[in-house]
Amino acid sequence: MKVSLNWLKEFVDIDQTPTDLAESLTMAGLEVEGLEHKAQNLNDVTVSRILDIKPHPRADRLSICQLYTGKQEVSVVCGAKNITKGDLVPLALPGITLPNGMLIKETKIRDEISQGMLLAEDEMGLTDDHTGIMILPDDLIPGQTLSNAMDLEDWILDVTLTPNRIDCASIVGIAREIGALTKKKITIPEIHIEESDILIEDLAQVDILDTQGCPRYAAGLVDKVKIGPSPFWMRYRLHSCGIRPINNVVDITNYVLIELGQPLHAFDYHRLGDRRIEVKRAENGQAFATLDDQTRYLDDQTLMICDGKGPVALAGIMGGLDSEIKENTTTVLIESAYFNPTVIRRSSKRLSLTTEASYRFERGIDIGGVDLALKRSLMLIQQLAGGNIARGIIDCYPEPWSPPKIILRANRANEILGTSIATKQMADYLSSLTMAVKVVDQNRMEVSPPSFRVDITREADLVEEVARLIGYNNIPVTLPAIRPAEEDVSELVLRDRIKAMLVGMGFIEIITYSFISPKSADLLIAGEKSNLRSFVKLLNPLSQDQSVMRTSLIPGLLSTVRLNSLRGQDDLRIFEWGKTYIKGEGELPQEKQVLAALITGFGSRQEWYQEGREADFFDIKGVVENILEELGIEGSEYKRNNPKEGLDPHEYARIHFSGSEIGAIGRVSKEVMEGYGLEKSAFILELYIEPLLSLVAWEKKFTPLAKFPSVRRDISVIISCSTETAMLVSIVKEMGKGLVESVDIFDVYQGKQIAPQEKALALRISYRSNKKTLTDDEINKIHEEVIDEIRRQTGGRLREGPKDGNSR
Amino acid sequence: MKDELLELKSRALKELESVSERPDIEELRQRYLGRKGLLILLLKKLVELPKEERPAIGKLANQVKEDLIRKFQSVSDSLTTKDLEDVSVLDVTLPGRRIPLGHLHPITKITEEICNIFVKLGFRVVQGPEVELDYYNFEALNMPKEHPARDMQDTFYISDNVVLRTHTSPMQIRIMEKTSPPVSIVAPGKVYRPDSDISHTPMFHQVEGLLVDKGVSFGDLKGTLTTFVHQMFGPGIDLRFRPSFFPFTEPSAEVDIRCVVCQGKGCRVCSHTGWLEILGSGMVDPEVFKIVGYDLESVSGFAFGMGVERIAMLKSGLDDIRLFFENDIRFLQQF
Repeated sequence: MKVSLNWLKEFVDIDQTPTDLAESLTMAGLEVEGLEHKAQNLNDVTVSRILDIKPHPRADRLSICQLYTGKQEVSVVCGAKNITKGDLVPLALPGITLPNGMLIKETKIRDEISQGMLLAEDEMGLTDDHTGIMILPDDLIPGQTLSNAMDLEDWILDVTLTPNRIDCASIVGIAREIGALTKKKITIPEIHIEESDILIEDLAQVDILDTQGCPRYAAGLVDKVKIGPSPFWMRYRLHSCGIRPINNVVDITNYVLIELGQPLHAFDYHRLGDRRIEVKRAENGQAFATLDDQTRYLDDQTLMICDGKGPVALAGIMGGLDSEIKENTTTVLIESAYFNPTVIRRSSKRLSLTTEASYRFERGIDIGGVDLALKRSLMLIQQLAGGNIARGIIDCYPEPWSPPKIILRANRANEILGTSIATKQMADYLSSLTMAVKVVDQNRMEVSPPSFRVDITREADLVEEVARLIGYNNIPVTLPAIRPAEEDVSELVLRDRIKAMLVGMGFIEIITYSFISPKSADLLIAGEKSNLRSFVKLLNPLSQDQSVMRTSLIPGLLSTVRLNSLRGQDDLRIFEWGKTYIKGEGELPQEKQVLAALITGFGSRQEWYQEGREADFFDIKGVVENILEELGIEGSEYKRNNPKEGLDPHEYARIHFSGSEIGAIGRVSKEVMEGYGLEKSAFILELYIEPLLSLVAWEKKFTPLAKFPSVRRDISVIISCSTETAMLVSIVKEMGKGLVESVDIFDVYQGKQIAPQEKALALRISYRSNKKTLTDDEINKIHEEVIDEIRRQTGGRLREGPKDGNSR
Repeated sequence: MKDELLELKSRALKELESVSERPDIEELRQRYLGRKGLLILLLKKLVELPKEERPAIGKLANQVKEDLIRKFQSVSDSLTTKDLEDVSVLDVTLPGRRIPLGHLHPITKITEEICNIFVKLGFRVVQGPEVELDYYNFEALNMPKEHPARDMQDTFYISDNVVLRTHTSPMQIRIMEKTSPPVSIVAPGKVYRPDSDISHTPMFHQVEGLLVDKGVSFGDLKGTLTTFVHQMFGPGIDLRFRPSFFPFTEPSAEVDIRCVVCQGKGCRVCSHTGWLEILGSGMVDPEVFKIVGYDLESVSGFAFGMGVERIAMLKSGLDDIRLFFENDIRFLQQF
């Protein structure tokens, strides 16, 4: 909300500089986000008198004005039509820069010298008016600077209000706050009205048919008004506060709105059927034209102002087109009312219509100030638009507001704040906020807030007021004694360990949006009933591309590959740790933590010491093997038993461990790559965190170090390509009778020396007993059994004689 | 003659000292020890000497010759060693054999940094759902339907009752619902609001904090958050607590730090105020305690929440928040 300092000064004495004032308001909770010095650059604009006006000899639309600046006579070419000889006008002499950035220079306009420029209000940034040159009051003296002569200098504070402080959405509200902070009294404008002899009750009638929606409705009436533009001072102030001037009566309702925070509405009295007002709910489906020329459809919850025939205003939100004040309006009925905040908010939301009025009503205005605002507007109308004010006002107020009584305990306040403020001092602080305070005993006081402080209902609210006035920065700093609770942080520990490993293995962490396009399931070639399609949909997404919650992290990885690839960055190792959101039976979806990683481009980069190599399946497999080893998960199985969506059906594996599927790896399928417009092969890893958590070996157990030497035997076995290495290894371990310490695969051969459907695997088997040194005979016997069993189960054969070797 | 010999020797040694290149040494050797060298020339004069002097001078001459030969050899040998060294010298400026290093996302790093400060103070880290019931996101935080404070946060809706959480504050309720006091938690996580421009992304990260126990005061809130700010931004940084409003705290306070860009002189980053808002906080509102069934009279507490992106941007000097989620690796490699 924009607030004029000059306006504030009509309500309270301010001796702080504008900057200090802004600072102290900010520190009291009314954050001043901007401070604008108005009209400071108008010091150079001079009040000048028009001595003569002559037509321009070579331009029909222009004239040449002879002006007296108080010091000299100058000649200015001007295009405006509203000036006459003898007028006082603002003149910008050469060298002046206008608020809009225009530099005034002496020029020649069609051969005639122009030694400056006559200004309209908008050109000086005063109002939006550009109907002609600003004609100044005749009591000014040529030579005065405009800002001095018109008292234009002002500061505009841009105050950001929190939703609870609606009482400060007005000049008087902020003035009250300044008064409390600086211990000054505030001045409420006095009301002087000349009333006619005709009683308002004889002219109009008000009936509230819904007192829940409208607890108070007041009205006043002015006859024989002259609708016209408002005087400059009012337009200037409204403009400064961000309100567009319309005509004197409407401007006055807005002026009082800003000044006192009470929204008013002016009706053209002669357009009100039966000269009466009824406040009631609308009928379902009823249509109504608001004064912004829109037809709105109402429901039976919408509170309406009606005349004897039908609706004339959306209560608390906007007036109707039919009863709007027009140039020929002569009699005005002013409404000043209090509407139920919830009722107004509901309608405002439903109609998507927010106005200065609805903003205030839905937060709760000052029910006790309804009549003052009405009288203030009547007084201003009489001053600025003339007319006769009917005697009295109508004020329907069936159940007058009574202030709540709140008990504040000083010891409780001190406990909450960590202070030791005396009861008396607390009472003083609250009194300065115009609260009625009755000290009950040494500790307790009974506090009644004024009607405009709708936010104060409980002891905690009073504690905050005390804290605000003492100043948050004056509350002593202490440190709490924290009693830590037991915790289960296994998931976080796991996360940090896995992330650290990935970083060590060269992966860069990415974070992508949790919402994606529903098309992402198609791009992953998801089946009809796939979980990937169990989307949680947003009702109000920013775009289709961000309209559902992700069911997989893979789309995010692939989109990231695409973005980087378009920027020439084709070699990536990236990962994301985040949630997938699967819609299920419950109200909330299943949120599952997933780790997803991707390798594309090189497996190892060409360097001065090594050849480069493109990434393949075993690059990503190595990553998952490292992670599982770190987590103490030994003996996981890689199964190619059920193709995985998005992955190449020939190059994928599901990872199983003790009965749970804990992840998957594989090459991104060709179709998916095409969908994302990617060329270089990409390999993906997914680990499902929930099942992993129960499998992690949190505490590793010590195994005694072997005392006896191990014996190494190498064999090369030729087997069918379709036989898996894991099968060979498990045969070796099984036949090894607990003496096989390790089996390493140190070579894989496919090629000319063997049949095309065969492969040769070279195995290095380490035998060791933890009881004794094994003899050659013992090992040979076991080793023979191992080889026989491999032959038997796989149909394979030895490629060459076993190589023997010993290791320590 | 004896003097001449000794003089020749010392001249040769002196000249040898002043040369370092192999050809120069060879030339010098030829000049002194060559077949037509100075020493031979001198020895030719031996016949002119009286017979009885000859053996002694001859012996000396041989001695000089041997000395010089040895000396020339040793200088030449040292040059050879040096040559060999030049050939096998290690170019230590060649890049090392590296295992390429990865990077954590800057948001992860800052989140960790924030949480670690509170963990050291005794808070524990908790997490919760991002698709959240309206009840936890709003209602239980003292924002019933039709409450104007809901306007403070635009919201993504899944249904009438389900939203994407707009803040991490629902974790306050979820934790208090299943724990009795004392409670001391920080809850980092993703939050969502429909906003997208240079300073807003529809998804961003917050860290929430909550401490509830007997006798927790606003002074404790100030002490805890002052400790945090000093650890996060440096011990010298100026900060202030400013009254504000959140429906679930009372009193409420925003914490500002002295602008890290202009040191308080006023700049574009701090909107010329000299201060940067970095977190919201306050004493837990009694309504919230009522909702979770805590005894209002026996406990009190404070809560706070902060935006991770904002802090990361202030610390790194980044001015476009969208870069965090674009995931250009050139950006991510900087952290």
